[in-house]
Amino acid sequence: MARNRKSQSAAVRFGPALKALLICLFIGGSGVGYVWQQNQLLELGRQKAEKEKRLNLLRVQNSQLGRHLAELQSPKSLETRLKELNLGLSMAQPTQIVRLVDAPLTPAAKRILSMHPAERQYAERRTAASPAP
Amino acid sequence: MALLLVAAFAGLGLRLVDLQVVRHDDLSREAAGRRESTIIHPSRRGDILDARGNVLVSSLFVKTVCADPSLLGTNQTVVARALAPQLKMNEAELAEKLRVHAWKDQRGKERVDRYVILKRKVSLEDWEKIRAAMKSLSFGVDEKKLSRRDRAFYLNLRQRAIYTEPVDDQLRIYPAGTLAAHVLGFTAATDKLVEGHAVTELVGKDGIEAAFNSALNGVTGWRQTEKDVGSQELVLFREEDIASRPGLNVALTLDASVQDMVESELAKGMERNAPVSISGIVVRPRTGAILAMATLPNYDPNQIGSKTPIANLRNRVITDTFEPGSTFKAVVVSAALNEQAVSLNEILYCENGVFSFGGYTLHDAGHHFGNLSVEDIVAKSSNIGAAKVGIKLGEVRLHKYVRDFGFGDPTGITLPGEARGTVHPVRSWYKVSIAQISMGQGLTVTPLQMAMAVSAIANYGRLMRPMLVDHLEDEHKQEVFKYQPQAVRQVISEETVKLMVQAMKRVVLPGGTAPQAALEHYTVAGKTGTGQKPPYGSRKYFSSFIGFFPADSPEICIAVFLDEPDPKRYYGGETAGPIFKAIAERVAAYLAIRPDIQAPSDQPLQKPSSNPPEVIAQTGLPSTLTTSRTGRNF
Repeated sequence: MARNRKSQSAAVRFGPALKALLICLFIGGSGVGYVWQQNQLLELGRQKAEKEKRLNLLRVQNSQLGRHLAELQSPKSLETRLKELNLGLSMAQPTQIVRLVDAPLTPAAKRILSMHPAERQYAERRTAASPAP
Repeated sequence: MALLLVAAFAGLGLRLVDLQVVRHDDLSREAAGRRESTIIHPSRRGDILDARGNVLVSSLFVKTVCADPSLLGTNQTVVARALAPQLKMNEAELAEKLRVHAWKDQRGKERVDRYVILKRKVSLEDWEKIRAAMKSLSFGVDEKKLSRRDRAFYLNLRQRAIYTEPVDDQLRIYPAGTLAAHVLGFTAATDKLVEGHAVTELVGKDGIEAAFNSALNGVTGWRQTEKDVGSQELVLFREEDIASRPGLNVALTLDASVQDMVESELAKGMERNAPVSISGIVVRPRTGAILAMATLPNYDPNQIGSKTPIANLRNRVITDTFEPGSTFKAVVVSAALNEQAVSLNEILYCENGVFSFGGYTLHDAGHHFGNLSVEDIVAKSSNIGAAKVGIKLGEVRLHKYVRDFGFGDPTGITLPGEARGTVHPVRSWYKVSIAQISMGQGLTVTPLQMAMAVSAIANYGRLMRPMLVDHLEDEHKQEVFKYQPQAVRQVISEETVKLMVQAMKRVVLPGGTAPQAALEHYTVAGKTGTGQKPPYGSRKYFSSFIGFFPADSPEICIAVFLDEPDPKRYYGGETAGPIFKAIAERVAAYLAIRPDIQAPSDQPLQKPSSNPPEVIAQTGLPSTLTTSRTGRNF
């Protein structure tokens, strides 16, 4: 036993030292990692808050622009602008309004309209490709 | 040494017990108060839009700028000079506000005001300018050479002396100014508590703002969070984050352009006829949708305040009642025709303008009619003729039809403060009442009731509920609720309507009471009214004209009312008639209503085909609503 103890004490005990070192590194690394993570969280939180602030600002600016647009589109504003630009625009008289009348659909047109879009495309292509009579 | 150590540890122990046990609650509360923070997310009040999506009312977040004079030292003048242009305030007035005001509290301890409101409703842009001005403020000293304490003082002054309230206020904006002011209404600010914080909220006080207050107001949100020493939020420690829900947008049936046409024509009419007030309504008879509703004098909801006369705030179209006069004859004759108590060609003797009935003498205004057909009674607006038609109909049936046309009940329009008018029960009638009511006296109605009753005739006898709101939508323009047209009841038959329209068409023809209301491209059916205001003989009148066109397939019904026009010219036909015409011409062109009269000057645009489906060309003008159950356009 004594010889063994002697021989053991003389030997370099790397294993436990390494274990201790690893444990220390792990604990130290965990601590540093935790702090780094917390810092990251705070930093990301700060960035998030800044972006939220920016988003709010943009929303407010958007509503301000919306208000400006509404002012510009108001009948009074349009009238004033028309007078300023002197474009000579006026409301169309009832007889100046052109009314288009749809011609009744031909049976062929009806059939094409009732087709599936892909089928219709194919039929239209074929009609276009076929030589004129 | 040991004793000293024991004493020191005992002291520390005592201190620990004091801090952790005895004062624990107070200290933890104080710590939480410094660390924790509740941020309020105000909800944006919804917009009010017209039928085409134009914004009639909107909201803008604004700041309330405050100051802490205790941080300014003796630099009030410098700060006032820098901020006065941004705050649009007088420099001296601002400097006075920034002066430190000291006062003694109940314990006699001297305190200073650290919260002074400099200006409310400051736009975000102006607030950014204020912040920039404060940041670049120079006090004429080299701050690098100052002591640390003095440098901290200037830093504090720049960063903290001028600040804003934590919760933004809202400013209600009416971009079109006075346009449709009575319909839109206005708001007032009130305080309410959210999570223990006072939040200023807008509350509708009149018009759509009041009627749809709960829909327009969203739900306020909040955030429970923590802040660091520099008052910056620590997002990591957010506990509750409840987003606000913006209010819904209210989309009206009102068309801003039609409203503008009506208001501008009413303004011209006001100038010509000098009435106390003038009102106009444009309705689509088929749906009851109101395209315009205006009353002058009006007000600017952007500048509502003590200077606005109370009378101008009233939406007279729904709040004021009056004796309708001759426009009511349309109701009486419709009822009599529907009950076949008379026929359109039946001749009635109009007593040469003087008729004694029930102990009273009735007169025809300015005329001495002899025999008139029922159609002529409408066209020439004979009081005595209408009284005789009413007598033929009988009290009970007349009362029934008056109520069926909607008189004596609110129309149900979604606006607050609607009057119901007065229709006495038959048991309260005097003998002369039947004659009086037949000529539009002895009962009171609102302009809207009258317009809806004539619209019922235009809508083939079906009375519709007036519709002012088309739908509600969320902030992403997604429709949340759609309002549908509501028919109240079928009052008269379609056959009766045809006869009535035939008679009403003659009102605007030569020989009728309102040839000034005739249109070049459309047949008009209408009725004039010139009611005397009590006390009778005071030469105060209520003049009106209500008409619809194209008469045989009506698309639009327009009503114009003048309260106390110039007594030199007060007949409905000559005061309200021309205004009706001016509005109708503009509205018809704007809405591209198909003409039903080919004027001699018109060139044919196309060869008409046999009953084809019709669309209106994409000219940038709105298309008409096509095809009703009768196959006609509306």
